[in-house]
Amino acid sequence: MSSAKADIKIEIKRRVFTFRVKRYDPKTNGYKWSEYKVEVTNRQTVLDALLKIKATQDATLAVRYSCRMGTCGSCAMVINGTPRLACETKPFELGTDVITVEPLSNLKPIKDLVTDMDDFFEKHKSVDPWLIRKDEKEQFEKLDTYYPQTEEQLLNYLEFSYCIKCGACYAACPMVFLNKNYLGPQALAAAYRWSADNRDEGYVLRLKVIDSDNGVWSCHYSGTCSKVCPKGVDPALAINLLKKSLLTGKPPAR
Amino acid sequence: MGMVAKSTLMKWHYITGLILVVVVGIHLAFRWPSYEASIEWAGPHGVYEQLMNTGYMAAIFILLYAATYHAMNGLRTLLLELHQGRYWNVAVDVVIIIVGVFIVIVGTVALVGALSVI
Amino acid sequence: MTEKLSTKRNPPKWSLWFKGLDEWLLIFQKVSGALLALYLIGHTLIISTALNFGHPTPLTWEKIIGLIEGPQIIGNVHVGTIIEYLVALLVAVHGANGVRLILMQYFGWGLPKPERRTYPMVPSPKKRSQMAYKYLVIIVVVIFIVLASYVAFIG
Ligand code: SF4
Ligand code: FES
Repeated sequence: MSSAKADIKIEIKRRVFTFRVKRYDPKTNGYKWSEYKVEVTNRQTVLDALLKIKATQDATLAVRYSCRMGTCGSCAMVINGTPRLACETKPFELGTDVITVEPLSNLKPIKDLVTDMDDFFEKHKSVDPWLIRKDEKEQFEKLDTYYPQTEEQLLNYLEFSYCIKCGACYAACPMVFLNKNYLGPQALAAAYRWSADNRDEGYVLRLKVIDSDNGVWSCHYSGTCSKVCPKGVDPALAINLLKKSLLTGKPPAR
Repeated sequence: MGMVAKSTLMKWHYITGLILVVVVGIHLAFRWPSYEASIEWAGPHGVYEQLMNTGYMAAIFILLYAATYHAMNGLRTLLLELHQGRYWNVAVDVVIIIVGVFIVIVGTVALVGALSVI
Repeated sequence: MTEKLSTKRNPPKWSLWFKGLDEWLLIFQKVSGALLALYLIGHTLIISTALNFGHPTPLTWEKIIGLIEGPQIIGNVHVGTIIEYLVALLVAVHGANGVRLILMQYFGWGLPKPERRTYPMVPSPKKRSQMAYKYLVIIVVVIFIVLASYVAFIG
């Protein structure tokens, strides 16, 4: 054990990166750019760098984060032009010396890199993203066995259940930009995730939201959402599976 | 268009889309081998010849109706993506229906008249 | 909070969309769709006028079409020829990409089944069947351009 440990050499590289941060100022209702030079190692993330800037250079820089390990979905921002999680992106792996950091598009700004997620969560809620049974009381009162599920049934929705509601897909979607009421990739993927669950009976209830002018039909499968999703959720696939269901009249495979 | 489910509108959008691939294909194929010759009234491959071709004219009738539906539904979708509002939504539906019906009537009158004269 | 929240959303990153084929197809489908819808209205009205609204004569046809064709550029090619040529290209791209979307969304052709995700994750638009579709769209459009160029400028 100890000899194996000795063999592992952890190489730590250090480099000074320039961070160009686009900041929203609520007082003037405008944007400005700030530039910081900060040294990071190859094992640190953009979030680490921003926090270092906040600690040592500019305490007014506003960033939102919580878990620092890609689980909570608080820290999504546009890094070098692509929406991603700041806590999962390493400056050394971006390949540029100047790193631009901007708040998420398609969402309203609050301060600096912090965006207002209210619209996003409202849309998520509007698809009833929870287990719906025809008999509402059953799961609380008279459940004598659990709802069984096979491996195959699990795979029908598993990949869509990894979503952490970070909003990266929503920020990347061209159709959300065109139609600000469009539900967007995340909410529609959630609609599919629950409708494709064999324990759920709420597909019909979700139809009035997903089969509307702001529902699935705006999607052209450009898949920008799927390409930026840090969790590999592939919302574009979910949306197009929903479309197929609506067109053929067959509910999602479950 | 609150009465019709969006999926019904879109189903027909897709069906007319598939029809259009065929009939627009025919419409464009009749420009062969020369575009200029195909829009002369007389002469080989000219307009008179096209009007005499029953199969081609059937395709043109289908093209008129399918394209009008496909275009108007597409335009409606786009206009509702650009903006939404109580009055806007109603106005879009009204304008789309009026324009669509107008095109269909003008086109049908012209085509039917042309066929009966020739 | 003393400051009022902004009512405007953060602007989009255009560069994110301009670097991918998928996004270009989306933009093209929307823009060409709008242009073609307007073209349909104009085309129907003009041809109906040229057919004299059901009482066609060679004279009215030649007059209206001559007007629409505009001045000659070289040989057989008029200003109208160029415009129609460009419209035909819009039709080709809109049609080819439209068929892709219909086959995928209506019939589910080439739409992958949900599966257990393993690293490295490949998003469905980058999967083989999807890319094949998109290259097919390009091939069809290129063939169309060759034929259309012949019809418009040579034939
Ligand atoms: S689908 Fe992916 S990108 Fe979108 S909110 Fe969920 S985790 Fe984030
Ligand atoms: S801080 Fe939780 S996902 Fe980045």
